[in-house]
Amino acid sequence: MLGNHRAAQVPATWADPALSRFDPLPRIICLDDFDRGFCGWTQLVGNYENSIDSMLPGYAQHTSPMLSSLAHWDAGSHNSVDGNYALKIATRPRRGAQNVAIKRLTFREAGPIRMEAYVTFKPEATELKLSESDIRSFGFLFDLQVGDRHGAGGERVMPHMRFLNARDGEHVQRWQFKRRSVPIIPLGTENKTISHYHLAPEDWEDLSGGEQHLCYNEIPTKVNWHYIRFDFDLASMTCTGFRCNDRDFDMSGFDSLRLPAMKNLWCMLNLAFFAETDVDKRAFLYLDSVCLSGDF
Amino acid sequence: MRTSMSAIVARNETWSGDAATEPYEAGWAQEAIIFVRSLKTPAGPQGRARVEISPDGMNWVWEGTEIPLPDRKDAVTFARVSHFGTWLRLAATLPESSTNTVLVTIHLKS
Repeated sequence: MLGNHRAAQVPATWADPALSRFDPLPRIICLDDFDRGFCGWTQLVGNYENSIDSMLPGYAQHTSPMLSSLAHWDAGSHNSVDGNYALKIATRPRRGAQNVAIKRLTFREAGPIRMEAYVTFKPEATELKLSESDIRSFGFLFDLQVGDRHGAGGERVMPHMRFLNARDGEHVQRWQFKRRSVPIIPLGTENKTISHYHLAPEDWEDLSGGEQHLCYNEIPTKVNWHYIRFDFDLASMTCTGFRCNDRDFDMSGFDSLRLPAMKNLWCMLNLAFFAETDVDKRAFLYLDSVCLSGDF
Repeated sequence: MRTSMSAIVARNETWSGDAATEPYEAGWAQEAIIFVRSLKTPAGPQGRARVEISPDGMNWVWEGTEIPLPDRKDAVTFARVSHFGTWLRLAATLPESSTNTVLVTIHLKS
């Protein structure tokens, strides 16, 4: 009888193999499984005006994401959760290097949204050792702005989360967020373009209770996939929940970078993932799939 | 529908001496065209870049194809490559004192 009782409560999404490993809100905004291709993800290119030399160095280092079978020198292709390919975000082999992949949307309803993803991370397997503290961090961010009829006080809001895996060789393993805005740098001469490197290593803050030991398998070429869920309310522009694997985190102390609304970015809904290396070795972040859903 | 991708593997990077793009993993693709564009006026004599492939993204070997590096600003050169396995990159050894600020793009198709 337990089976019957449970069946009555099973969400309809459980019957859909593509959705059954997510817990989406009622409306699927996008379901990106990278076995289907790039699914609208691209590199985060920096702003510039007149000359590409005006791009800030933090952005100039970015390169295009890849579709990867997680091919390794010793074991061949690891493949993804349920197929061949994952989106691969690779840094350059220089300590502190970062890379970012982004999906750019706008929202049609300022209400609750939920981002879920299956991800994993490893350094490039250039050494025959565990290398568990070679990746500094991986994480994600939203870049959001209110609609154009919001009125005075409208904001551009950028919730940032990262898993600080290691810092200067110390295996830290804790979730962090960032709320302190970084300097806005005007570019060019036409007063139309600015830039700010919001992923700079400064001003990350520890999430209260944010320590978490993730599965990091025994050599650099074995990976295990992790589940991430982040809830945000576009009406109040506040975070309403965060989960990684079996842990729900208290987000009452969380806040986002907040800037005055910009004149070109109304209803912006951008989602980005990033990787950062702590040593002179490439860091790889792999996304198997990303599900973005909303309650509207 | 076939998958295609235009990947930027070096943007506004000034090459001198031994230089190479970041590795690009594309085991899903059957064919590629690699373009090189000089974003600034190159300095000194320009050599030829070589297409390299790899079994693991770490150890590289010349695939056999070469691309002349552009010899003037905004000039574009290219090469077609197929059957390259999983990894691609473009590498070059420039003559002493020569530089070239390049935009290297790989255009892949399944």
